Amino acid sequence: MAYIIKRTVSRIITFAIVISLVFFLARSAGTDPFERYLSEDPRIPPEQIQRLRARFGLDKPLYMQYLDFITNTLTGEFGYSLYFHRPVFDVVMERMPYTLFLLSISIIISTIVSFVVGVYFAWKRGTKVDLWGTNVCMFIRSTPHFWLGMILLIVFAYYYPIFPLFGALTPGITYSNTFEYIGDLLYHAALPLTTLIVREIGMYVLYMRNSTVEVLGEDYMLTAKAKGVSARSIMFKHAARNAMLPMVTVTALRFGFMVNGAILTETVFSYPGTGRLIYQAIINDDFFLLQGAFFIIAVAVLLANLIADLICAWLDPRIKM
Amino acid sequence: MRLDQLKKSIRNFASVYKSSKSGLLGLVILLFFVFMAIFAPFLAPYDPYKRVDRPLKPPSDKYLLGTNDIGQDIFSELIYGTRVSLLIGFAAAFFSVTIGTLVGVVSGFLGGAVEEVLMRFTDVIMILPNIPLLILLMAIFGKQSFYIMVLAISITGWTTAARLVRSSTLSIKERAYVEAAKAIGAGDRHIITKHILPNISPLIMATMIYEVAGAMMSEAGLAFLGLGDPSNKSWGMILHYAETSGGWYANMGYPAWWWIIPPGLCIALTVASLVLIGQAMEEIINPRLRRR
Repeated sequence: MAYIIKRTVSRIITFAIVISLVFFLARSAGTDPFERYLSEDPRIPPEQIQRLRARFGLDKPLYMQYLDFITNTLTGEFGYSLYFHRPVFDVVMERMPYTLFLLSISIIISTIVSFVVGVYFAWKRGTKVDLWGTNVCMFIRSTPHFWLGMILLIVFAYYYPIFPLFGALTPGITYSNTFEYIGDLLYHAALPLTTLIVREIGMYVLYMRNSTVEVLGEDYMLTAKAKGVSARSIMFKHAARNAMLPMVTVTALRFGFMVNGAILTETVFSYPGTGRLIYQAIINDDFFLLQGAFFIIAVAVLLANLIADLICAWLDPRIKM
Repeated sequence: MRLDQLKKSIRNFASVYKSSKSGLLGLVILLFFVFMAIFAPFLAPYDPYKRVDRPLKPPSDKYLLGTNDIGQDIFSELIYGTRVSLLIGFAAAFFSVTIGTLVGVVSGFLGGAVEEVLMRFTDVIMILPNIPLLILLMAIFGKQSFYIMVLAISITGWTTAARLVRSSTLSIKERAYVEAAKAIGAGDRHIITKHILPNISPLIMATMIYEVAGAMMSEAGLAFLGLGDPSNKSWGMILHYAETSGGWYANMGYPAWWWIIPPGLCIALTVASLVLIGQAMEEIINPRLRRR
C-alpha cells in the first residue's frame, strides 16, 4: 500500500514539474497568448486588448498567473481551441477513445508476437533463422511509422483496394447490430494497427531475444539441463518466464513511445484520434489545443506507467507492496 | 607519446571492429550517405530549390524521380536532403550527448541532493513521449528553422546519455586508482577530466551513434508533420510535401511511389546503419554482448 501511495505521489510531482516547465518555457519564449494571436490585428484597439488582458488575468504578477495556470490545468481547464471553437478538454477527450483503442490492441498483439518470436530466435541463436530474423527486425525498427503506413496505403488501399483509405468508420451508415459496428471499426483500423504492430514487433523481438539469451547464460539453466528437463520446458518454463520481467518493465515505457507512433500513423491514415488532432493543431496554429493535448497525453502516459508499476509489483515478489 | 597511444588504441579498435560483419556493413552504408551529403552539388543534376519543369512529372531520363508539386527535381531534392537530415541528426546528437554527459558526470560524481534533483528531472523528461514534447517546444519557440529543430531535439534527447554516463561514473568513482588519485590530493576536476571522462569516452561514442539515429527519427517525424524548415528540405520534408501536395495522385490518380518510397528508404537505411555501427561498438566496449 505504501508502495502504491509513494508511486502515485511521485507521478503527481512529475506532472506538476511538467506543467511548470511548459508555463515558464512558454512565457520566457514570449508566447503570451495575446501577443501571439491579437497584437497583430489592427482592428482591435489597444485599450480593448488591455481590458481583455485584465479579464483573463494576464495583468497579474507572474507568480499569480502561474498559480492560476496550475489550478486550471489540474481541474482540466485547458482553454478554448481556436480552430474548433470548443473547450480543448472536450475536443481531446472526444478523440481519445480512438487512440486508446489503437494503442491497446497493438500493445497486446505485438507483445504476444514479440514474446514468442523473440524466444524462438534466442533458442535458435547463431543460426541462419536468427541472423536473418534479427536483421529484418533491425530494418523494420529503423523505418519511420509514417513511411510504413504510406507503403501499406499504396499497396493495400490503392493498388489492391482491400482496405479503406481513411477514417475510423464508414460515414453515413447505420448499423443494425453491434457486430456490424465492430466489424467496420476493425476494417478501418486494420492498416493503422498493422503499421503500429509491425513497428513494435521489430523493436521488441530484438529486446525479448536479447533478454532471453541473457537468461540462457545463467547457471540455473545448466542445472535444469543437467536434471534432464526437456528442451521445451527449459525454454518456456525457465528461460521465457525470467526473460519476461524486463519485458513488462519496458512495456510501461512503450506506451509513451507508442504515442509517438500513434501521432504519425493517425496522420497518415486520417484516423480521428488524438494524434491526428495534434497534427490539425499544428497546421492551424492552435497553441492551446496543442498544449492541452500534450497535458492530457502526459497524464495518460503517467497513468499507464503507474499501472505498469503495479503489474510489475504483482509479478515480481521482490518488490514489496 | 600520447599520440602513439591514441594511434595504438585506434588500431586496436579497428582490428576488433573489422571482425564484426554487420558493423562493417553499417559503416559502408553510412559512408555512402555521408559521401552523398558532402558531394551533393556535384551529384545532383539540378538545384532542388529551383523550378525545372512542369509540376508532378513522372520519372524520365531527364528527371530520375520525376518532379514535385512545384516542378522541382525530386532526385536532386533527395540528394540535398541527405545533407539536412544527416546534419540535424549529428548536430542534435552532439548537443544532447554533451548535455547528457555533463548531467551524468556531475550527478554521478557529486551525488547527494544534486544527484537526486538532476535524476528526478531526467526521469520527468524521459517519461514524456518525445514527439508531443517536441511539437510543443517547436510551437513555443514559434519559428520553423533548422537551428530551432536542432535545439528542440537536443533539449529533449539527452536523458538516455545522462543515465548511462551517471551509472558508469558511479562505478568508476569507486575504483582503486581513483581512490589512489584522491589520496595523493588530486582535485575533483583532475579526477573528472583525467580518470572518469577518458574511461567513459567509448561509451559516450556508442551512445552518440544511437542518438544520431534517434535524432534523425525525431527530425523525420517532425518534418513529416510540417514542422520542418522549408528552406532546408530534409528527407522527412520531401515526404511531407508528397503527403500534402499531390503525392497520392501524381501517378495518373495513383500514388507516386517514386516520390514516396526513396526518401523513407534513405531514412530507414541510414538509421539502420547507425544502429549496426552502435551495436558493433557496444560489443567492443562490453565483450559480454558478443554473440554467444
